[in-house]
Amino acid sequence: MSLSFERVNFLYPGARAGIFDATLSIERGELVAVIGASGSGKTTLLRLLAGFLKPDSGRVLIDGRDVGAEPPEARHLGVVFQSYALFPHMRLWENVAYPLRVRGVAREERERRALDMLRRVGMGGRENDLPASLSGGQQQRVALARALVFEPRGLLLDEPLSALDASLRMEMRDEILRVQRGAGVAALLVTHDQEEALSIADKVVVMSKGRLAQIGAPRDLYEAPATAEIAAFVGQSNLWPGVVVAPGLIEAPIGRLACVTKGRAVGEAVIALARPERLAPTDDTGGSNVFCGESVADRYLGPVRRVDLKVARGVVRLETHLRGAVRCVRIPPESIRLLDADPRLFPPE
Amino acid sequence: MGLVAGAYLIFLAAPIALLAIGSFGESWTGTLLPSGVTLRWYEQLLDDQSFRRAFFTSLKIVASTCALNALIGVPLAYAIHSSAKRGVRAAARLAALMPIAVPDLVLAFGFILVFSSDALPWLGSFWLLAAGHLVLTLTYTVSTLLADMEQLGLEKYEQAAASLGAGFFFRFRTVTLPMLRVGVLSAMLTVAALSIGEFQLSNLVSGFLSRTYPVVLLQAFYGATGFACAATIVLLTLATIAALSSSLTATLGERREASAT
Repeated sequence: MSLSFERVNFLYPGARAGIFDATLSIERGELVAVIGASGSGKTTLLRLLAGFLKPDSGRVLIDGRDVGAEPPEARHLGVVFQSYALFPHMRLWENVAYPLRVRGVAREERERRALDMLRRVGMGGRENDLPASLSGGQQQRVALARALVFEPRGLLLDEPLSALDASLRMEMRDEILRVQRGAGVAALLVTHDQEEALSIADKVVVMSKGRLAQIGAPRDLYEAPATAEIAAFVGQSNLWPGVVVAPGLIEAPIGRLACVTKGRAVGEAVIALARPERLAPTDDTGGSNVFCGESVADRYLGPVRRVDLKVARGVVRLETHLRGAVRCVRIPPESIRLLDADPRLFPPE
Repeated sequence: MGLVAGAYLIFLAAPIALLAIGSFGESWTGTLLPSGVTLRWYEQLLDDQSFRRAFFTSLKIVASTCALNALIGVPLAYAIHSSAKRGVRAAARLAALMPIAVPDLVLAFGFILVFSSDALPWLGSFWLLAAGHLVLTLTYTVSTLLADMEQLGLEKYEQAAASLGAGFFFRFRTVTLPMLRVGVLSAMLTVAALSIGEFQLSNLVSGFLSRTYPVVLLQAFYGATGFACAATIVLLTLATIAALSSSLTATLGERREASAT
């Protein structure tokens, strides 16, 4: 029960968008989330796996077998669509039993299995309702039940939570994870919500312009992004262009920053990354890596505030649970990570 | 606004009401309303061989037209809808709309030219007439269904069915057709209403034994007023039933779709 892509290429006819050289594997019981800006190809990746699109080259494998030429109905993958796509003319149990009916399961057994599956997603007792009478979250549960009832070889989720409101989204996130873990099935989750991806995935894939820019555990992705572009996309970040002026020291728009410059030559252009929650306000007004400036934005987010300090020619963004005014900030050297310079993010002046 | 609508309704309904009254009137010459009450005109109508034949010919034509519309229109609309190329879709839509833009008369002349030849001597046959009605009505079926398919977002459900393991024919039977049920029904009733009242083409293309009701109805106007009224009322009743059931199913469909969102 594994799903994989091997050097898959796909180009939309008459367009320059598509998927380029995608290699990825999802093991049994694993949940892999794909994130990326809209148009980055994340849904295309799912559609290639589901069989709605055929790759131009490379192989799409299910359990090690090339299924590139097989239609969707031969792939035995459960797909949960963004709009759920519950059949409006069928009762809930008939919706859930549909894949069993396709497979010629006797009516009695498919009814039993459908009811059992509906109970597992918390929709027991509603089996005779029509989809139109359900809320978004409930339809989501039924769609999940329908996609899992036939014990598919993989579960594909296409932005399954985007139509739900924030509080329900958290609940359904745990629900999906629980059901997926229970079924022990390989799952691909396409989402534009990076927090969702970081919180439930075993592995996260960041897509950019049709390429898999980075694949890694949520923690690696957040703490050690491969490029400044990924750092900017995943979570909040401070990104300062700079130049290494001496071992352990870089020159940035906000001033001189002490940090680990191992592996970088003096004179090399870099981008310094620091996550706002790693920075702390301080009462000191000077010293190593302490920067003072004027607060230009102060956003109250409930548990924390996100403050932008204008410092010299740059801005330092920090998060703090303190309620007082913020004048100065200390940037711990170990919180800074140096990334390769990227002329697209910071064009040379 | 209300005044205009009321005036319009009176303008529309008054002739029909007069026809209904006239059909039960004993005699009606030179007065506003007829005098005397009788069922004579309906009895005469029932006894009239050519009217009876035309009535049943019309029913058969309507049934055949509906059946042909369903058999050809549903797959045609489906093919247009699922065609990937925009150009194909636009061309198919244009072709389907042509019969509305072109007067029935032009179509009838075309039929006469082609089917009175020795090679295709089918002018006057029942099936040629049914084919003519099909050409005139198919566009309504196709455009109704296309709109329905678009509004339902049909391909989404088909993809879901495919991902759940259903092959083309299974999903067509279990998902596509049931979802289009209301659309097909309302299209068929529109087609029935159009086919019942169709005169121009039928008058020119039908043979002596395959004349439809509206064609024969023309003759009634040369006879007694009451008879003409009764004959017209029969046609109006049929057309009204078709139109009413058509709008009723459309309303039901809308209600179903409204509750689905």
